[in-house]
Amino acid sequence: MKKKVISALSGLAVGVLASTVFFGNFSTPDTVSNASAKTDAEKVYVPFGEKDEYYLFASGGHSGQMFIYGVPSMRRIRTVPVFSPDSATGYGWDAHSKKMLGGYTWGDLHHPAFSETNGEYDGKYMFATDVANSRAAVMDLKTFTVKDIIEVPNTSGPHCAAFVTENTEYLFLPTRFSVPLGHQYASLDEYSEKYRGVMSAVTFNEKAQKLHIAYQVALPPWSYDLSDAGKKISKDWAVLTTYNTEEATTNLEINASQEDRDFIVLFNWKELENMVKEGKYDNVGGQKMIFPEKHKGGIYLVPVAKSPHGVDVTPDGKYFIASGKLAPLLTVFSFEKAFQAIEKKEFAGERNGIPILKYESVMEREVNPENALGPLHTQFDDKGMAYTTMFISSEVVKWNPETGEVLDRVPVQYSPGHAVAAEGDTVSPDGKYLVSLNKLAKDSYLSVGPSHPESMQLIDISGEKMKVIQSSPVDPEPHYGQMIKADKIKTVEVYPKDENHPNAVYNQKDARIVRKGNEVHVYGIAMRSKFIFDANAKRPDVIEVNEGDKVVVHLTNLDFDEDITHGFAINQYNLNMEIQPGQTNTIEFTADKPGTYPLYCTNFCSALHQEMTGYLLVKPKQ
Amino acid sequence: MAAAKLSVLSAALVGAAGGLLLLSLAFPWWGMNFIAPQYPEGLEIVVYPNKLEGDIEIINGLNHYIGMKPFSEESFPELGYLSYIVIAMAIAAFIVALTRSKSGLYVLIAVFLIGGALGIYDIHRWLVDFGTNLNDSAPIDIEPFVPPIFGENRIANFTTFSYFATGAYIVGVAFVCLLVPLWKERKK
Ligand SMILES: [Cu+2]
Repeated sequence: MKKKVISALSGLAVGVLASTVFFGNFSTPDTVSNASAKTDAEKVYVPFGEKDEYYLFASGGHSGQMFIYGVPSMRRIRTVPVFSPDSATGYGWDAHSKKMLGGYTWGDLHHPAFSETNGEYDGKYMFATDVANSRAAVMDLKTFTVKDIIEVPNTSGPHCAAFVTENTEYLFLPTRFSVPLGHQYASLDEYSEKYRGVMSAVTFNEKAQKLHIAYQVALPPWSYDLSDAGKKISKDWAVLTTYNTEEATTNLEINASQEDRDFIVLFNWKELENMVKEGKYDNVGGQKMIFPEKHKGGIYLVPVAKSPHGVDVTPDGKYFIASGKLAPLLTVFSFEKAFQAIEKKEFAGERNGIPILKYESVMEREVNPENALGPLHTQFDDKGMAYTTMFISSEVVKWNPETGEVLDRVPVQYSPGHAVAAEGDTVSPDGKYLVSLNKLAKDSYLSVGPSHPESMQLIDISGEKMKVIQSSPVDPEPHYGQMIKADKIKTVEVYPKDENHPNAVYNQKDARIVRKGNEVHVYGIAMRSKFIFDANAKRPDVIEVNEGDKVVVHLTNLDFDEDITHGFAINQYNLNMEIQPGQTNTIEFTADKPGTYPLYCTNFCSALHQEMTGYLLVKPKQ
Repeated sequence: MAAAKLSVLSAALVGAAGGLLLLSLAFPWWGMNFIAPQYPEGLEIVVYPNKLEGDIEIINGLNHYIGMKPFSEESFPELGYLSYIVIAMAIAAFIVALTRSKSGLYVLIAVFLIGGALGIYDIHRWLVDFGTNLNDSAPIDIEPFVPPIFGENRIANFTTFSYFATGAYIVGVAFVCLLVPLWKERKK
């Protein structure tokens, strides 16, 4: 009996053991996945058929382009050329973009900015500036194409741009380099007298889709680095950081880092606007120029830890946070305190005719996270928490601007410049995601030789603690980005017919070639899978001209169908353009090379795309 | 004499049939859906009594690869007069309803049957015309085909679904509105 019990018990024990071995759950609790705790991989996986939650517009730096990514997948969706030619889209070859580029073949796209309504991104336009050739551009987000580019006179390298005011009244372009007005020659010995760091106030006419310089401000000959527009109570104001207030003219690395303090320029753009209305400006080469030492008011200086980079306004508009990249210090300044000091005229002297506010009377608090070095730029989440990139200590620090308390830190690989949070510089940031725009990738990806890509790291900021959940290589070089909720952008899939378009041909039977003296105008069409330049010709897909003729080719894409883009290229004539669905596009050239040149569709459009060809025949001069 | 007239209810139904006929003009009668790997969302032709809607230009653009003639509202003269025929039928129905004429009802039903048969034959004729008169020089050679008036078919990478649309069903209900009095009056 006892034996039986023991054997029964031992049998049971073996059974329990065996079942535990085979069916037991030995995983630690945090690897057990459930709906509320997704793995990092699940957080960034966007299956086919679903779309990303946010668009990320990453500045392409010296590529002159804008990179469009999806968040959270961090997939690159599109490259939009802005300041440099792009053979993939014919940008810089078709007549409109060629004229916009104005002969420049590269650009340095720095800080992009969305159009805003009431301090929120409205998803209509994207603005960008070119540090290389002092230009500003506007991109229409219905088509993700650039509509206008202007070159800004009297200024050189608007690095400190672009930021827009709460209702896109202005796009401000302060400059990195000071130059003599009108780019005249002036000895560097006369730097302090003759050079100026001119800031431009640019307006955008939405109807005409044109940018326009409303006025300029001849700020002192310093370098202006970054900027932000005020919000809510500070909406009429804006802030800029400066460096080289030493006015050094050589070896800036050393000579522009001497003073313990540089300045934040605090200005009221409504007041400047009124000054212009009242005629308080000088005319400089056709521009209305405010000289602060002459036309007083509206501009103030706030001392700040030396050589600051970013200055960012909190979502509630109460504070602006400046980070001195050489002093390991974040300073929270109060707009309200600044307004009081201005009202009481509590000034500590002047620089270049501009009143200086006292640091102590504007400073709200100083924040100095232990061993954090090189604070560059700050973004915000939905709870008002701040996220600051630390270039030198290669990390992102989360902190509370109301208390100065440091809440979390996360290392990033490597050396972040800017960061961009979901709608992180608006009056109502979304939280959720932060992308750290890192300047160095080093060993992050498969090696492609000595020159590496940059790196963008996606950080989940939905919880108390930050978590890096994805890393994505990116071409040089994202300086700043803008992250917008995807449903705010309303694109068109085909260009609507415009019966008033003088160069459009909507019926293939109307395709024609018109000669005017030595000008040949082609009004043609592209459709799957042929070109028709002259519907009545023996060979409708041939353009025949005389050597020396000016040739203007207008082509309308008659495929009013999603993603059926055609291209038009002429061999050895160095010409290519894109014609998007329903679009009419134009390319102009002089037929200066006699001979026979095949032409073809460059954008794969159909099963018979290879057959979408024709000839340009250039008859030699007799 | 009274026996020769339709009952009030029957007359009302005939009148309703006339109203439904007019209503049907606001809706498409027939359509065809085209689905392909590249067009998972589908392309469609929607036929109203007086117009064509849908992705006509895209479908024409694709059809030229198999040598099919492009179609447009101009290629179907019926679209120019079909709605007048429907309006005339509706007016006839109203007259029958008002006069409560039994013989009028019989004529109306006969016209309805003939018209319906002609209509279906007409669609079929066009489908044959477009599907079989293919240009020999087209880049893609396919066997001539006749898509069904109703149901599924496959042409190259496209699966097509032909269907009667709301307007046709409204006309169907109108026809039932005519049949019910026919049956009711016979019983008497
Ligand atoms: Cu093509």
